[in-house]
Amino acid sequence: MNNVETAPKVKKETKNKIRVEFERTPLLERLKAKFVNLYFFQKVAVYIFKFLFLLGISFVILFPFYSKISSSFMSPEDFVDVTVVMIPRHATLSTYRAIIVDNNYWGAFTNTLLLSLACAILQTFICCLIAYGFAKFKFKFNGLLFMLVIFTMVVPHSTLQLSMYMKFRYFDIFGIFNLLGGGVTEAIKVLKEPNLNLLNTFWPLILLSITGLGFKNGLYIFMLRQYFKGVPDELEESAYLDGYGVFKTFMLIILPLSVPMLVTVFMFSFSWQWTDTFYTRAFFSQSGPTLMPSIVKVPRSLDTSYAGENMYVAAIRNTCGILILLPLVILYTFLQRYIIQGIERSGITG
Amino acid sequence: MSTKVKNSDLLGASAKKKKRSASLDVRKARAGWWFVLPFVIGFIILYLPIIFDSIKYSFHEIRIIRGGGYRLEWVGWNNYYNALFKDPGFVQTLVSGLKQLVLDVPAIVIFSLFVAILLNGKIAGRAAFRAIFFIPVLLTTGLAAEIDQQNILQQYQSAGGMDDGSGNSSVTEIVSVMDVQSLFSNMMVGKELVQYVVDLVNNIFNIINRSGVQMLIFLSGLQSISPAIYESCSIDGASGWETFWKITLPMVSPMILVNAIYTIIDSFTSSSNKVMEYINNVYQGATGDGKVLSSAMSWMYFLIVIAAIGLVAALLSAFVFYQRRD
Repeated sequence: MNNVETAPKVKKETKNKIRVEFERTPLLERLKAKFVNLYFFQKVAVYIFKFLFLLGISFVILFPFYSKISSSFMSPEDFVDVTVVMIPRHATLSTYRAIIVDNNYWGAFTNTLLLSLACAILQTFICCLIAYGFAKFKFKFNGLLFMLVIFTMVVPHSTLQLSMYMKFRYFDIFGIFNLLGGGVTEAIKVLKEPNLNLLNTFWPLILLSITGLGFKNGLYIFMLRQYFKGVPDELEESAYLDGYGVFKTFMLIILPLSVPMLVTVFMFSFSWQWTDTFYTRAFFSQSGPTLMPSIVKVPRSLDTSYAGENMYVAAIRNTCGILILLPLVILYTFLQRYIIQGIERSGITG
Repeated sequence: MSTKVKNSDLLGASAKKKKRSASLDVRKARAGWWFVLPFVIGFIILYLPIIFDSIKYSFHEIRIIRGGGYRLEWVGWNNYYNALFKDPGFVQTLVSGLKQLVLDVPAIVIFSLFVAILLNGKIAGRAAFRAIFFIPVLLTTGLAAEIDQQNILQQYQSAGGMDDGSGNSSVTEIVSVMDVQSLFSNMMVGKELVQYVVDLVNNIFNIINRSGVQMLIFLSGLQSISPAIYESCSIDGASGWETFWKITLPMVSPMILVNAIYTIIDSFTSSSNKVMEYINNVYQGATGDGKVLSSAMSWMYFLIVIAAIGLVAALLSAFVFYQRRD
């Protein structure tokens, strides 16, 4: 009984004592006690180390971009001048102008934009569908089919390079015609030949995207599946109770919920298609539409035969690279907020 | 008698219940099939024939007939024999590529885990750092990487001794081998280890480039660890070091397995891989029948990939810890 009564009293007393002690010690002493000790030093040191490390890595990442950008503005004289480092002395836009005019940059830009947008949108949506199916529904062969998805990720592209080329060069597999019906092929107007040549068109990539077999689609399906597994089942159940069907729930509840994740996948697939060389080389030849890889060359109007030729040509190639990457950088600055969010929300667990 | 009736009633009821729930399951299962239908169709119509053709071609020679069409000639194991014993560089490239892989995979996984932990913690400008760290995975692939590979400009310009993606600069190393050797010489570690560390530091750009997706996976793994666990740890007086080994590492160990496998797949299939480059060169350089050789080579390569992945998965899965979730 006594204890119970005295306990708060003691506490109050000590509290008061502490306050009195606190007020008696001068500010300098207090600061000393707080900041001049090993624990605080250690914390600060670790923080500084972390910050410097991240800063250093950021520098390693950003520096090549800077050096490329600066060299792209240099005029030919700057490459023979040893004293010109990092900052161009005779800044010029002639390299950019020559590439844009001579190498048909806008043509390549439009074609690549169309192709990448089509592929990215299709891949994002289709991968979402497939991943949602794997994550939320128990059906026979679920595990086996998912293993097949992983399998498509594991097989190297080069293994399939030849047979993909052959497939789309002589596109006449059984079933496709039966499935699509004659109307579709008539619309493409290729009935004169026994098989249709899909090379130099967007069809091979679109077909691969529609079926979730495009570039790294296995990875997207894997990521999205893990994400959908983290979405609570109650959400869908309440939607079912409200009379929504499975597809309606998916379109109206699940997709709006996972916008950051969708943007992440979209960004991946858009930029990987944008800078892709493998499929572009395999499915498009010189006579096909101009795409990004074909603008990487020295423009006709620039004279490169002088003392600094090697460096000048390298700088021109870099400038091509900058022009190719610029749209992606702009897109990334707009979308990175969503991507970071997507990372934070995708709680992947075992 | 009555109990029997009850029993049968119960049985009937449970059977009915089972039937109803089964039909719901069936309906849900059917919906699941609809969702994965695109993949199933694509796999059967496009992918399987492509795979099948690829295997078939590797046993054939292709002759393109003028005026459309092509003819296949059966040559048995000839292509494989040629790749292994007649081709000058294939086996050599394969062995050195595998060796490179053994060195790279742990480095990439550890680096990406390290960076993910740093990016997960509280630090000034965290959002900016995150945005910067995902630049390489988006921008330095495919075409851009190809331009970089053939780039000599950086060698002239990088006065500060930075390795910046040109990758072939002996002059511009961050660490010189001599410095590290003098550092390690008293520690009685092997010369190979010194070389390994030096290579890693000088390849830092390459490693950063290749660890973007892994970082993403680790970050989301770290996000899913409940903060309550860390809180209780710090109340119990555990240091950051102990917390890392006892909490963070076991909790992200499934991610380590995933990332190790992904890294292997990624570096096996990336076009900057030496073996892939070699196979691509064979493919690009050859006309008609030579292209089949590249097919045979990549199938052999693929079998080695599968073996490597199986080995790593078996080794790592012994250490993986799965949290029981209610």
